[in-house]
Amino acid sequence: MKALIVDDSAGMRAYLRMVLKGAGIEVLEAKDGVEALAVLHAGARADVAMLDWNMPEMDGYELLKNIRADSTFNSMLVMMITTETEVSQIEKALAHGANEYIMKPFTRDVVLDKLQMLGLQ
Amino acid sequence: MGDLEDAIREFLIEANEGLDQLDRDLVELEKNPDSMDLLKRIFRTAHTIKGTGGVFGFNRLSAVAHVGENLLSRMRDRKLRLDSRITSVLLAMLDALRDMLAKIEANGSEGDGDYSAVVLAINAVLSAPVVEAAPASGELRVASCEVAPASCELRVASCEEKPGETCSASSITSGTSATPTESEAQVESCTTESGAHEKAEGNTIRVDVRVLDKVMDLVGELVLARNQILQSTVTAKDAALLSTAQRLNLITTELQEGIMKTRMQPVENVWSKLPRLARDLAMRHGKEVQLEMEGADTELDKTVIEAIHEPLLQIVRNAVAHGIESPAARCQVGKNAAGRVTLRACHEGGQVNIDICDDGAGLDVSALKQAALQRRAITPEQAARMTDRDAVQLIFLPPLAGAAKRSSSMAQVRSCIEALGGMVDVHSVAGQGTTVRLKIPLTLAIIPALIVRCGCQRFAIPQVSLLELVRVEPEEVDAAIEVIDGAPVYRLRGNLLPLVDLGKVLQMTARAATGERQAVNIAVLQVDDRSFGLIVEDVNDTEEIVVKPLGRQLKHISCYAGATILGDGQVALILDVLNLAHMANLATDGRADNVEDLNRQGQATAAGESWLVFAAGQDARMAVSLARVSRIESISSQKLERSGNCEVVQYRGRIMPLIRVGNLLSSSTLAVSDAMLPVIVCPREGQDVGLIVNRIIDIVEQTAVQEQLGNRAGVFGSAVIQQCVTDIVDVDALAVQAGLCARPRPAASIH
Repeated sequence: MKALIVDDSAGMRAYLRMVLKGAGIEVLEAKDGVEALAVLHAGARADVAMLDWNMPEMDGYELLKNIRADSTFNSMLVMMITTETEVSQIEKALAHGANEYIMKPFTRDVVLDKLQMLGLQ
Repeated sequence: MGDLEDAIREFLIEANEGLDQLDRDLVELEKNPDSMDLLKRIFRTAHTIKGTGGVFGFNRLSAVAHVGENLLSRMRDRKLRLDSRITSVLLAMLDALRDMLAKIEANGSEGDGDYSAVVLAINAVLSAPVVEAAPASGELRVASCEVAPASCELRVASCEEKPGETCSASSITSGTSATPTESEAQVESCTTESGAHEKAEGNTIRVDVRVLDKVMDLVGELVLARNQILQSTVTAKDAALLSTAQRLNLITTELQEGIMKTRMQPVENVWSKLPRLARDLAMRHGKEVQLEMEGADTELDKTVIEAIHEPLLQIVRNAVAHGIESPAARCQVGKNAAGRVTLRACHEGGQVNIDICDDGAGLDVSALKQAALQRRAITPEQAARMTDRDAVQLIFLPPLAGAAKRSSSMAQVRSCIEALGGMVDVHSVAGQGTTVRLKIPLTLAIIPALIVRCGCQRFAIPQVSLLELVRVEPEEVDAAIEVIDGAPVYRLRGNLLPLVDLGKVLQMTARAATGERQAVNIAVLQVDDRSFGLIVEDVNDTEEIVVKPLGRQLKHISCYAGATILGDGQVALILDVLNLAHMANLATDGRADNVEDLNRQGQATAAGESWLVFAAGQDARMAVSLARVSRIESISSQKLERSGNCEVVQYRGRIMPLIRVGNLLSSSTLAVSDAMLPVIVCPREGQDVGLIVNRIIDIVEQTAVQEQLGNRAGVFGSAVIQQCVTDIVDVDALAVQAGLCARPRPAASIH
């Protein structure tokens, strides 16, 4: 099992890494959409991608659209990370092929629950 | 829970960096409140801290950040415009967050500090009704939790409805003021740019400094081992071994450079904290200050960066608190109300220069002197003689009463910087400002040095202090090295270079007198902006040395800066050039003027006046203005003739009257009966007059303050020239006294 974390905050990446590794999931990281696409195009594969919404260089929404536009990544699940204030955007993301979402602030259990809902646990 | 701790550490690093960034950005935004670019970045940084903090369960931190974020989003949406009060509130919030982060770092929890004041203050700003009339003048005090009445300047930011009004009210630059869509577009392009910048820095990893320090240590050892191998292969015949040693040499050098680079950090890392400091100080002292930075990307070794942090804070603190005048005082002298503090960094040789300039009032030289006098650090005579430039250096005296604050701290700054092997210099022009210049070595760990020998020991002299090497051949020693005032000097290209004998300073046993003269090796060293020569027995070689701290037993000896291990495995002490100069009593002042005084070029330069100093009569020391002298001749006493009661000599086809200065002025009547008489030829009313003197002493260039001592004909007065009382001769009056002219000329005409 492998997950790709895309978040511009190193602290947030560290937190998710901790949670995922604790659940026995391997972790790939990228700090924005551009870097994530580069990682994916370089051949890296993940079972699930967790995308932060707010990022300086290509945000999560844009990245989602890019991922879904490429059939190579069909099998990859996408989980959006948003904040409460961006609730309205969740629908938009789901419509564009996101599989699940979590809202900040979240807890370890929420992350693991959501992964389970995606059938990854 | 090691993983959680690691994750939290990453969060702390990120959050602290974020807060520092916010400090800078807010101060910047205060100057430029309409920069959407800045606002967006500020908002995002605050948002990240809030979000990440929340995820880690730091709810109080997240809550405080949340309130701040609300305020920021109001500004981002142009419903509120930043002013100094809002900035203060936001900065107070950052301090609260910082406080919590520190607690998390120390005990793993946010603690139970009371941050309600900050939250209330922000909420007060948020809930304040939109005021368009003049705001009430109440001050918002965060600490006392005083909820200020609508004191902030609020602006209605309904751009769509009345853009014109908003523009005029908030002085938005025309580019961003037009329509929301336009400014949005501009912001977009800006963020893309900054994004690209971040991207370029993308290929970086964080490395624990301790790891780097360890690697640096090991590279140091490797350099030593390399040096040893190189030295032992000098005599080797094995070609393969030689070429391997050469490769080892090259690789080590490159490795060393590479490791040094990893330790390099832009000076911006320390500078970044200064804008906030300057702002807070300016507010506290009721001043307006603009902080400008040039060359922020200049790089220095990490340890150096850390070491200059405190001194820099201190200097900027001085500049803002003491240097810059109040806005009213500035306006009065026609300056911009806002003072300017400029930080400038640049590379120069193996050093980095950091200038901190302010355009304030400059140092109060008389206050400095006064304070130094009170402390008996200088005598009244010294104070009177001191030039402003020298007096400014008094700021480095250890704590003074009176002008205290600035001085005491500068003493610390100096000891701090000198401990780094750097230098501090202060320039100040009354009314125009003060510049403090720090000269700092790039790195402290590995430096090029000259290895010299003295006795049976070898010493390393840091290459940065070395100007040149001079070798005086045995037969030239007597002529080239003179003793002036008991101090040996060497004439180096027309300047006198004071000499210090290393063996003597270190009180080493004198070298065995072999009877024959030996060549003298002089290392010309620079301290501050003066130089001196260090006499050493032998000059070995230059070498990259690894600086090792001195052991406890040697630490108190000030003439050593450290120790190193040489190529052959022996230990050499590194000389502290500055302290060496101090030990040899080559204090930083007083040297240069002596050199010029003794310079026998005799050419009058713009500064001061030239005097021909001579002896006449019995040990009378006299001088005549060189401007009055056309030639100095040596005339045989047999050529003297008499005309009337006057001694004359045939000189250049004319008859030149002679005056025996000694006989006329000195109480003694001792006649000069030498075969060759020194004669000073002075032109006077179309006719030369010759002054017969005992001996020409010197030509001296200096300003002589003449004092009238008694009333003697033929003498203007007395002055101190070359530290000796010297009578200044009045040629015209002398001539009158000798009966050469019936009409006395006014004495003052000499000048």
